[in-house]
Amino acid sequence: MDPEIRNFETEMNRGFLQILVLAILEKDGYGYAMGRTIRDLGYEVEENTLYPMLRRLEKGGWVRSKWDVAKDRPRKFYSITEAGRALRTELLGAWRKQGRILSRVMKEDPHV
Amino acid sequence: MSDKLEAYLEEIGHYLVVREERAEILSEIRSHIFEKAEREYGETTPDALEKTIAGYGSARRVAERYLDGHDIIAPAYKRYLFRYTALLFAVHLVATAAAVVFKTSFHVFPLLFVPRMGVIEALMYLPTALLCDFGITALILFLITRSRKNARLPWPKFAVDIDEVRPPGRLLWNGLGFVAMLALTGAAFYLYVRHHTIFFANLNFKTARPLFTPQAGRWFSLTLIALWAVEALRLGVRMFTGSRWVDVAKNGISLVILGLLLGRPLDDLFAVSVPGRILPYIRLSITVTLLIIAVALAVDLIKSLVIVARRRLEK
Repeated sequence: MDPEIRNFETEMNRGFLQILVLAILEKDGYGYAMGRTIRDLGYEVEENTLYPMLRRLEKGGWVRSKWDVAKDRPRKFYSITEAGRALRTELLGAWRKQGRILSRVMKEDPHV
Repeated sequence: MSDKLEAYLEEIGHYLVVREERAEILSEIRSHIFEKAEREYGETTPDALEKTIAGYGSARRVAERYLDGHDIIAPAYKRYLFRYTALLFAVHLVATAAAVVFKTSFHVFPLLFVPRMGVIEALMYLPTALLCDFGITALILFLITRSRKNARLPWPKFAVDIDEVRPPGRLLWNGLGFVAMLALTGAAFYLYVRHHTIFFANLNFKTARPLFTPQAGRWFSLTLIALWAVEALRLGVRMFTGSRWVDVAKNGISLVILGLLLGRPLDDLFAVSVPGRILPYIRLSITVTLLIIAVALAVDLIKSLVIVARRRLEK
């Protein structure tokens, strides 16, 4: 893919990925498993995009994390907070609205 | 534990300016790399870890993903960096010129110290002052950025703004200027070859009387011819390129030429009779005139450097 188009796509995907992660986290999970789930859904995500994003969500209080040290190797588990659920609802509303606007524009102009 | 993994994590940690979160971030990455190596290669041997690291991306790129919103200088303040540096440097420039002319030092502790100096020292001092001003401005903008406050900084306007839009027809004026400067330089050089000076006490070239002594006349004439030649060259080159580096080079060379002249003692100047009581005033006038030209060149040099730097930043 053209690197410039890729940049646009990355920019567009950032918001979508946040909604997706907040939706997936309705069930607690750790980073690697979340990456796998997202890929299994047919969506490509780089690990070094997912982890910093989880950290930002955590810093904002939308996600909480806990280190599980019961096994031989520690893992960080993430779960959504109430604030995260509220954010998800808002973001989903915005995303649906964008979809409706785009559909309307495309109906009005078949060349789009 | 793999040495490669530790070296990789150390490199990421080196790029992470978020000190308080560094250990946590590195633990996350370590945990993820182990997990991935085990899932994808069935083991966490050094080989498997090395392959996983290779797929994870360069240390710098990984660290940068964690640094969103941690700009050293907020993008909105980047223009201030150059404007404030230019303003600070203008203060430095005036203080330096005053230190040279009045043979005294200036200090406003801890912000400004301009020692008493000669012309050559001043020319050496000014680039250092520029770097210092740039550093101070960058530091202040860094602290404002770090404070995360929505500071509204003043935006002083310059008399000649570097954002000015140049009107069309520049090529024509450049061409005319080039021809005029070339003619002037050529005529001056012709006079110099014939009379060893371009400064005369009368306007009759058949019985020309030099204004200055042979040595002073040679220095003043060659300096002026060299300055005109450099300007002609600049105008010529500017017809083919809009690069500001041409102006930077011209101003830099002109400053060096002026510096060489200013470094010479102004004794035994005139070949014609001049009353002794007005000689000190004439010497002072020549020094001040040359200094004003030097300051104008330095200001233009800074302006060109600021434009070059800003264009690079915008790219």
